Amino acid sequence: MVELQNVSVTYSSGVDALNNVSLKINDGDFAFVVGSSGAGKSTMIKLLLKEIDATSGVVTVNGYNLNKLRKRKIPEFRRTLGFVFQDFRLIPSMTVYENIAFVLRVLDAPIKLIRKRVPYVISLVGLQSKTNSYPDELSGGEKQRVAIARALVNDPQLIIADEPTGNIDPELSYEIVELLKGINDQGTTILMVTHEHDLVRHFGGRIINITDGEIVYDEVVMGINDEILPEVELAQSMENAASVPYQTALGTEPNGSELPLIDDVIAAITGASQNDGGGAE
Amino acid sequence: MKVSGIKYLANQGIENIWKNKMMAFATFCVLLISLLLVGCSALFYINMNSMILGLGNQNEIAVYLYSNTPQERVAEINAQLVELENVDTVVYNSKDEAYQRMQNQISQGKEIFDYIDDHEFMPDGFSVTVINNDQIENTTEIINQIAEVEVAKSSPQVAQFLRELRRVVTIIAGAVIIALAVVSMIMISNTTKASVFARREEIQIMKYVGATNAFIRTPFFVEGFVTGFFAGAGAFLITWAVYRSVYNILLDQGTLMNAFGVASVIPFDDISLIVGAAYLLIGGFVGALGSVVSTRKHLNV
Repeated sequence: MVELQNVSVTYSSGVDALNNVSLKINDGDFAFVVGSSGAGKSTMIKLLLKEIDATSGVVTVNGYNLNKLRKRKIPEFRRTLGFVFQDFRLIPSMTVYENIAFVLRVLDAPIKLIRKRVPYVISLVGLQSKTNSYPDELSGGEKQRVAIARALVNDPQLIIADEPTGNIDPELSYEIVELLKGINDQGTTILMVTHEHDLVRHFGGRIINITDGEIVYDEVVMGINDEILPEVELAQSMENAASVPYQTALGTEPNGSELPLIDDVIAAITGASQNDGGGAE
Repeated sequence: MKVSGIKYLANQGIENIWKNKMMAFATFCVLLISLLLVGCSALFYINMNSMILGLGNQNEIAVYLYSNTPQERVAEINAQLVELENVDTVVYNSKDEAYQRMQNQISQGKEIFDYIDDHEFMPDGFSVTVINNDQIENTTEIINQIAEVEVAKSSPQVAQFLRELRRVVTIIAGAVIIALAVVSMIMISNTTKASVFARREEIQIMKYVGATNAFIRTPFFVEGFVTGFFAGAGAFLITWAVYRSVYNILLDQGTLMNAFGVASVIPFDDISLIVGAAYLLIGGFVGALGSVVSTRKHLNV
């Protein structure tokens, strides 16, 4: 569970990165965090990783009050999380197996468990044939799948994915999000930061839009038109879209045009035709 | 942490040397050169000190007894001198030896000795060497207090000069060793920093997955220690080879060089254990410390 209560972050340069943000993500949720560059998404991720502290407000992640978390307790807290980064952040000198096993080594897990668990998560991401490969020998999509397997291996309560599709081919992006959705189906909370509106529109779910350090939109929808994401006033109107059952968006075909229901809603709100939107930011 | 965990981290440290072999080699070279610079300076100083002390030991107290001192008493005085605290060796010079020496020292008019058939007018004497040359004046004073001693003479100027020389050598050598040690630490620090900097992302990833600082540092510690240990071993072998060569060359110079106290140069076998242990331990310690300290900056994630 992630909870931000009236959280503000002001950097030493005087820049207000987050301004009185309140947010709650329950266990088992899948949430997209969207927003333009400099909107405050990265600051929020840093907050959730306890990389920086809030200037004011309360940040609670997986039962840890990060405001009161002592430095020496940070490793223990981070072991309850899984991370997936845009640049994969795999250790280049370690094989796929070693990169994933490293997380369990940190936990001082028994060798037997490591030998059982690591091949299992590698099979979940479909990389059995690459077990002994080094990151340099993998494609972008494969690297990201290794990163997901690493995030998954210690069975975390929450996975934070920061632009996980940012460095891979668009067609592979769907695979990655499908993978994360599948993990979410098993009960793991997923918080995915992205600016790829095609993906968000395709998968739908809970969308949190951060603009200028404030949450301007936070609803569960089936799909959304990327053109209106940054528009605060339109976001208010999108409440109608939130009424569309979240579950119905899942399991649909990977083509955004096959979501007539939400596109009809958008068309009704904006007066635009169904085919106007869809370009990446 | 379990034994398997410690073993894993130690293995990681050793594997990292191979995986980052170029940086490990750079660290090894810098450590080797640093150890050689400081080690050779220290050895040079130790030998200079030994040579000066050796020269000091050649500084004797010449003791002359009254010529009428009975032989039994001469033997007693000999024993008394040996018992003195600062006395190293006592060599008895009999009346006959003194007479002989006097004869040898006179090159012209040796006929005079044809008229002398009694050596009794010559004094019995002793050549006394001391343990601590700095105390030679005190020891001379004590010997002078023996009733039968007509005169005991030493050369305090020589002692004074050697004392001064040792002081200057100690200051210069100390300054050089400290300067070299500082330069070495800067070189080692920069090299290990560069080595760790190249792997900063690796450290950050480890932090993100919940590794403690100790968990991250242990392989770096092992890596630094092993690299430093091997650098120490390399420095020892080079020092051994060079030292023995120089030592043999100096010995071959024989008596000429002995005038400069070369006979007091310490044979390598006498100090090889200390030199070896110092190189290995300092190499290992500095390597490990440099490596661990350099990670600190990157651990604040």
